Amino acid sequence: MHELLLQTFLNATYAASYIALVAVGLVLIFGVMGVINFAHGELYMLGAYGVVAVYVGAQQSFLLAVAVGLMFVGLVGLLMERALFRPLRDNPLSGLVASIGLLLILQALAAIFFGVRMEHIPPVTQEVLRFSDGVSLPLQRLFVIVAAIVLLTGLWMFLKRTRFGWALRASAEDREAAQLQGISVTRIAQLAMVIGAGLAGVAGALTAPLVRVYPYMGHSVIVTVFIVIIVGGVGSLEGAVIAAIAYAFVHTFVTTFFDGVVADIVGLLLMLMVLVVRPTGLFGARDRA
Amino acid sequence: MLLECDNLVVRYERVVALEDVSIRVPESGVVCLLGANGAGKSSFLRVVSGLVKPASGDVRFHGESLLKLSPEEIVVRGVAHVPEGRRVFPGLTVEENLRVGAYLRRDKHAIEEDLERVFSYFPRLRERHRQSARTMSGGEQQMLAIGRALMAKPKLLLLDEPSMGLAPVVVEEIVEIISRISRGGMPAVLVEQNASLALSISEYGYVLENRRIALEGVASDLRGNDHVRRAYLGG
Repeated sequence: MHELLLQTFLNATYAASYIALVAVGLVLIFGVMGVINFAHGELYMLGAYGVVAVYVGAQQSFLLAVAVGLMFVGLVGLLMERALFRPLRDNPLSGLVASIGLLLILQALAAIFFGVRMEHIPPVTQEVLRFSDGVSLPLQRLFVIVAAIVLLTGLWMFLKRTRFGWALRASAEDREAAQLQGISVTRIAQLAMVIGAGLAGVAGALTAPLVRVYPYMGHSVIVTVFIVIIVGGVGSLEGAVIAAIAYAFVHTFVTTFFDGVVADIVGLLLMLMVLVVRPTGLFGARDRA
Repeated sequence: MLLECDNLVVRYERVVALEDVSIRVPESGVVCLLGANGAGKSSFLRVVSGLVKPASGDVRFHGESLLKLSPEEIVVRGVAHVPEGRRVFPGLTVEENLRVGAYLRRDKHAIEEDLERVFSYFPRLRERHRQSARTMSGGEQQMLAIGRALMAKPKLLLLDEPSMGLAPVVVEEIVEIISRISRGGMPAVLVEQNASLALSISEYGYVLENRRIALEGVASDLRGNDHVRRAYLGG
């Protein structure tokens, strides 16, 4: 029993890591642009296909594949800002609808280029950390956990310590007042899209050898991430991280001790409970207009 | 003239907010713009800082037209706008709010000096520099909003209803600081509903009624004007 708990703890930590990466990106984009990016799961998918193309296809190193995934998906984010969200800036609802359209296009493109079958991506390493009998952590999963900690800490420092970080937070809180400080909201929107999309791409690339990679893989991730940001409070980065951890632990433990369907139900019930008790989410901004 | 606004017309959708408004601001001193709620005072400041583009008319700062410039470019030219309702960034600390005010500046050393200067104007901001702005009182937030604007090292300060919603003691404190800043050589446009307060620290004033300039003159003349006394000074 003791081993099972410990093993489940490690599994949950892994799940929390990549969910947090995707959720934080989505929250960052929402905060600055005011748009819920429904295509965020597809950015995650594109990151995974970056690994398919570079690591499996071109036989390059996994690290290079992750870097390419990060940069490519960041670039896609930049294009999304220019082509979709900027022209629709004054109407967040149409931005949302446009992102649903983009979701379908990206899925179709992935299907055209790579086919709809599941990709098999050989793990980079078969190495497994063994703690004791029955408790182990594949190194591939450890990569994801370490990357999430490093990237989220880096993002935190960026937001708290640099002038671009302050400007980004200021724009998310009050776009017009930010303009009056000389902040270009377009620049900041680009920055938020590159970072937010890049984080989703990295998460997709890092987990590619551990999950089923296919054009529609973004779907299950985006559903989870939506629950997480609603629980955490839409717009709160801290909330997204904490809710990702909470959700991953609840979901993983319930899956282990009951089953996956029950875990999904419990996750949704958790969200409903939070919405009833605190409609703004656990860390939702009280004074957002 | 530092700021020249000629025949400004502003419309939001079909509603007219300003009709043929011309205002001049000299290189020093405070010019006030009086008027009731909804008279168009805020619209005027929003045109100057580029948030709203007028339907017609011109705004020139140091002789250069601001109409084609974005709000960011207008900040670079030296116009700092303290918006109505203060609009500090609630989730940022006091110091972060102030540093965001200096966002476009590269002169690191001078930024630190200006931060010190703002702290000397508003000692309460220094005491609370690590506190998030949302925890501050209305008066403190107003001080922060003014301090944030000063951090841009502006050549002209636009103040929109700095007294709004504040207790009389706090208003006095804010007015004292504004007049100190202006005596220090910073020209300002002060938009106020509180006419006696505004006229007490201004050299010149405009009265906005029904979206038009109804009256203008030297502040002491306006104080003595029958219409101003009846409509704005309570007798």
